[in-house]
Amino acid sequence: MKSFIRKLRWLTQRPDKEAELGEELQFHVEEEAEQRREDGLTVDEARWAARSELGNLSQVKENTRAAWGWTRVEDLICDAGYGLRQIRRNPAFSAIAIATLALGIGGITAMFSAVDAVLIRPLPYADAGRLVMIWDDMGKKDITSRHQPAPAEWMEWRRLNTVFTDLACSQPGDVTLSGDGDPEQVPARKVTWNFWSVLGVQPMLGRAFTEDEDNKSVRVVVISHGLWQRRFGGSPGIVGRKISLNDEPYEVIGVMPPGFYFMPSRDIDIWTPASFPAWLRKNFTWHDAQIIARLKPGVTLDQARQSMAALSLQVTAKDFRGPHSVNVMPLREEMAGRTRSALMLLLSASAALLLIACVNLANLLLSRGAVRYREVAVRAALGAGRGRLIAQFLTESLMLAGLGTIAGLALAVPAMRFLETLVPEAMSTHLMLDWRVLAFSAGAAIAATLIFGLAPALRGSQLAPQDGLREGGRGTAAARSYLFQHSLIIVETALAVLLLTCGGLLLRTFQHLRNADLGIRSERLLTFETPLFRYKDFDRRVAFINAEVEKVRAIPGVINAGFINLIPFSNLAHATFYRLEGQPADSFAGQAALVRNVSRDYFATAGARLREGRFFNTSDRKSDSPVAIVNEPFANRHFRERSPLGQRFKFGNLGDKGYWYTIVGVVRPIRENSVLEEARPAVYRVHEQCDQIGDVNAGIIVRTAVEPASIVSSVRQAIWSLDRNQPLARISTMEEIVDRQLSTPSQSTALLGAFAILALLLASIGLYGMLAYAVTQRTSEIGVRMALGATSGEILFAFGKRGLALTLTGLAIGLVLSAVAARSMTALLYGFKPGYFPTATVVSLILLAVAAVACFVPARRASRVDPVVALRGE
Amino acid sequence: MQTNNRPEELLPGTLDMLILKTLSRGQMHGYDVAESIQRSSEEVLLVEEGALYQSLHRLELRGLLSSEWGLSENKRRAKFYRLTVEGRKHLSAEAKRWSRVSLAISRVMKTA
Repeated sequence: MKSFIRKLRWLTQRPDKEAELGEELQFHVEEEAEQRREDGLTVDEARWAARSELGNLSQVKENTRAAWGWTRVEDLICDAGYGLRQIRRNPAFSAIAIATLALGIGGITAMFSAVDAVLIRPLPYADAGRLVMIWDDMGKKDITSRHQPAPAEWMEWRRLNTVFTDLACSQPGDVTLSGDGDPEQVPARKVTWNFWSVLGVQPMLGRAFTEDEDNKSVRVVVISHGLWQRRFGGSPGIVGRKISLNDEPYEVIGVMPPGFYFMPSRDIDIWTPASFPAWLRKNFTWHDAQIIARLKPGVTLDQARQSMAALSLQVTAKDFRGPHSVNVMPLREEMAGRTRSALMLLLSASAALLLIACVNLANLLLSRGAVRYREVAVRAALGAGRGRLIAQFLTESLMLAGLGTIAGLALAVPAMRFLETLVPEAMSTHLMLDWRVLAFSAGAAIAATLIFGLAPALRGSQLAPQDGLREGGRGTAAARSYLFQHSLIIVETALAVLLLTCGGLLLRTFQHLRNADLGIRSERLLTFETPLFRYKDFDRRVAFINAEVEKVRAIPGVINAGFINLIPFSNLAHATFYRLEGQPADSFAGQAALVRNVSRDYFATAGARLREGRFFNTSDRKSDSPVAIVNEPFANRHFRERSPLGQRFKFGNLGDKGYWYTIVGVVRPIRENSVLEEARPAVYRVHEQCDQIGDVNAGIIVRTAVEPASIVSSVRQAIWSLDRNQPLARISTMEEIVDRQLSTPSQSTALLGAFAILALLLASIGLYGMLAYAVTQRTSEIGVRMALGATSGEILFAFGKRGLALTLTGLAIGLVLSAVAARSMTALLYGFKPGYFPTATVVSLILLAVAAVACFVPARRASRVDPVVALRGE
Repeated sequence: MQTNNRPEELLPGTLDMLILKTLSRGQMHGYDVAESIQRSSEEVLLVEEGALYQSLHRLELRGLLSSEWGLSENKRRAKFYRLTVEGRKHLSAEAKRWSRVSLAISRVMKTA
């Protein structure tokens, strides 16, 4: 340690130390000379003898200096400076190299920032790795994959489990905020008091609510930072202020810090106490909750899973669906959802692109290495060892990589804006160059340097000095160097083929999704929601819905309007159990279908198609023999041979009080759940014939003749003319909703396509470059062959053949790789199985066409060589 | 006096030890150190100047020697080296090790 400090001090005193060393050695020489003079030589002879005794003064100085310990660092700095000068001296080459690296490094950096945001960045909760969500596992994942538990289940699990420190429960609780401005529908959740402690978060201002307040249904609320700024202007007196939620006064007791968010989406702005009523605490049929739990220290996920599975079977014995197990999912997985596989695919693609860029650059450098023979020879003759030469080359490559990284970061920043759409709804969208991303970028740069710099460094430092110093020293490279460069081209081509094929498969899948029959006509369809809590009973709600629809229909520019309790593609399941007339008692347990309540004009407005029977009409009013329309999957499930028309079934209330619904029509499937999933069995009934209309919002769809956005204010006026305090929520056109759902597959396809095209471009440039250089190098050989009688055609063929052989080999390897990759990509293909061979064929044709051009140009140049010129000049 | 054939090469570690031993008798400048070693070894060991100064500087950086500039006998400026406390300790340890090793080697060489 002390010696290190001494070394450091000597470094700072460098000039003095140099002078001292000079003086010390000078003294030595003079003493030696003195000695010789005493032995009898003349002054000059003595001096000369002494100097030669000491040997090469510079060498001695250098050796002594080496003992000071800083030579390596100095060498590095020296090489770095030299590298930068080299780069400046070859602007064209350097520009290409830096641009190639910028693409590769910038691409992988941008992709990593997305991966970081979704999969790596710590979530804004304490020790988020210990948080899990708990879902009912119904076995048959028929209707929906996420079966929401009941609050009653939460109570039991909380009481009986042994693996969690605590569990919290949250229910949907969207509210209408009114009072200080226009009424606004705000996404909100009702949460139990321990929600905050389970997550390990605190409000920034004020406090969270207590168990007491939850149990006593005190009207308190915690709001988000965003809402505080947006609606209340960030006013300091927010804590203690009374606000009006669903026309009831609530007191704001806390504000969360900025950047806090939780499931189900990042725009939840309000949290109220769950305040479960007594009947809900024992009710095992009301399933709309989300449960978040924290694992006890030392308990693993598997242990928790096993324990909860056993416990659940015991607890849910009272469930009318029968006992079932549970699904325990880590929170991060829950939030990332399907995006994880898309991100990993894109990250791999960007890595492949970087690899291609590096291979390209290696090829370029190898070709250029021949040009620098002389310089290297001089250095070697002056005493540079092989290690030193390799270090020098690598440092030059590092300088290139450094500049490429800076350029790449500049490219990455706008790319990251584009990638923000890939972040799932449940998470925060902020993509930024934090230290993790920058460290990754630096790592990528170093890896790239090694990949593209090592081979040229090894090759370039590998010659005997006399070869290079000889005149006309452009010696023929050994045959084995060509083999290495050829294999580089093959690797590039194979990777490009891999990316192109995967991109093609993804494109086919996306087209399939895009063109899928959604069941309704989504163009020029406006949608919005209005809450119904202001109308306290069934009749009033029905009246409001009917009035709404009428008012909206009367607006000029509107063709038709209709009501449905859940707008299609809204990702909400809302299923119910049913039984058909004539089914024996035990055969229909667990039989479920989606259920929707609609107005009479709904199907006409939506543009749904009828398979048989009829749609609802004015004769369907509130009655004891209600009617229902089922969709095709439902009909196919139960009525394959005969027509379902006239058959009766019960749903919702399956007991004696429940009504028998008569099937009057079969509609072609509408993808109620999500654009990406096949339509499930579903039943529809007229809203007036429901048992009840719940507290949820009413969804209105409006078919317009004009641009939907243009009538939004008229719609608002229309609704307000009925009820001034009614907000409109989730205003959107159906096309926007569909696009939003398609955004992940859409982005993934676009990005992968971009990577694939870039890869193809780079690979073909690499092929072209290598062949062009080969032509230049072998000009004299071509001259000889032509002089000996070869025609231009034969030369063209000879060179073209080489390029074609390389391309075909790369193509073959690439196709094999992509066949393997396609198998592991199925998760991203949304169940669609695009045929591998058509895609592969198209990709092959594209590649061969591009490669043909890349080969043709240099080959043609070769065939055009004038043998006289070639043989004469060197 | 019989001078032996060619001077023998010295390993750097051994040179370090010899330098330390020479300086244990008092402070000297680099030239005198070399002369002293040559004389004491009866011209068998000739110290190469490049190696000498390398060793001196290295030993100084390790803290085994300290240096200061002074005037030589003929009134010229010279850098004088002296053993530090650390250096003295290191020297006795090295000397012990050396005699153990050389004893072992002679024993092996004596066996027939």
